[in-house]
Amino acid sequence: MNYLKEFTKGLWEKNPILVLSLGLCPTLAVTTSVTNALWMCLASTFVLVCSNVLVSIIKKYIPSHIRIPVFITIIASFVTVVELTLKAFQPNVYNSLGIFIPLIVVNCMILGRAEEFASKNNILVSIFDGLGMGIGFGLTLTILAFFRETLGANKLFGLTFIPGMRPVMAMILAPGAFITLGLMLWAMNSFKSRKKKGG
Amino acid sequence: MKKFLTKIILFFNNNYLAKPTFILALVVFLAAFILSHVKEITYPSILRQTEEKEKLALNLVLPGYHSLLKRRVEIEGKDFIFWEGEKKDLNKESKGYAFISFEPGYSGPVKSMVGFNDQGKILGIYILEQTETPGLGARCLEVASSQLFWTSFFKAKKKNLNHSRPWFQEQFKGLDLTKGIKILQKGDWNQSLRKELLQVNGITSLTGATITSKAVTKSLQAGFKVLKEKINLTIPAVQNLDNNFLEDDENINREREEE
Repeated sequence: MNYLKEFTKGLWEKNPILVLSLGLCPTLAVTTSVTNALWMCLASTFVLVCSNVLVSIIKKYIPSHIRIPVFITIIASFVTVVELTLKAFQPNVYNSLGIFIPLIVVNCMILGRAEEFASKNNILVSIFDGLGMGIGFGLTLTILAFFRETLGANKLFGLTFIPGMRPVMAMILAPGAFITLGLMLWAMNSFKSRKKKGG
Repeated sequence: MKKFLTKIILFFNNNYLAKPTFILALVVFLAAFILSHVKEITYPSILRQTEEKEKLALNLVLPGYHSLLKRRVEIEGKDFIFWEGEKKDLNKESKGYAFISFEPGYSGPVKSMVGFNDQGKILGIYILEQTETPGLGARCLEVASSQLFWTSFFKAKKKNLNHSRPWFQEQFKGLDLTKGIKILQKGDWNQSLRKELLQVNGITSLTGATITSKAVTKSLQAGFKVLKEKINLTIPAVQNLDNNFLEDDENINREREEE
């Protein structure tokens, strides 16, 4: 088993947002600022790695027809741990991410990895898969948030980006998220198809 | 006995419901057990955060007031919390009040604390909770910063310890609660707008987020109305707040004047 390959496939080849189209709801919702995107990345990656590990440990003992409720219980428990920890130690982050922390539970990227990968592979590979997928998810979020924050609010990390520029309000609202994500998907697909033709 | 045990094992292996039920119950039980412990560990911290926020807010909306008395009344089944404080000004005792009130904004309730003196003039407001759109309504928490990203990125400056408040909340200072608060659209607030706005008893709204501005002014007026009716009544006190934190505020004010 090639660990490096399992790690990098989440970043590019099987990027959860741009290729698998998983977890689009938090992608569109929390990318209003880069800070939010990075915290979302951290929270999701933590939940993803932990649930991958636990699922790959207990995969033998779970009858296949009740695996989904068991996975959901595991994911929900880790999300609650993240939620409580953020609430206690990073209240500002908790306030700005709001409802999207509890909603990590229904991020289909996490359930998808548990079902597709962790329940079929051993612990170590599952960790690399979770890390790769989480970081790939986070990178996409960060790039999306960078464009939305700089164009929509003329800010970066809450500080003025270009003095005197008038921000485009639509970019910070939902349409801006859809447009930017659409452009990113287009870029990704054209990259991939060009590579195929060339090869 | 042995027969009994084998019977149970057989039952578990053959019955299509027993084993999954047992496993599911075990998983859920373990999850609940772990979560209850996590909750226990984080609970004091969460409680402290909310208390600290309340103290900080009180300190800002009732500057210089002492012997604050927290009170709680029930209005239409909901808790209404307010504070009473006193201040000695030129040998004259004056009273100040603060309350917490909320109104629905664009995407959730906007909860704010407001302090005012016995003439109904606002001493300060503090937005405790909001879930407004970042870049629009959430700018009610934005501190007007002229600091550029690039300068702070390339020159690792010492963290600027300014105690400046969000401009949206700052502009409420000095407004009259007994009259209606007008919402004008003058762009971002700055010190030069203060005189003009005080004359008409108004605020300048957040660009593109009039609903948030409306929610705040509405909640202030609704809370004031409730308090005006209740203020003559004798209401049992809930608890006494310690006043240690008031000294800090005087220091902050002094620093501000020096700037």
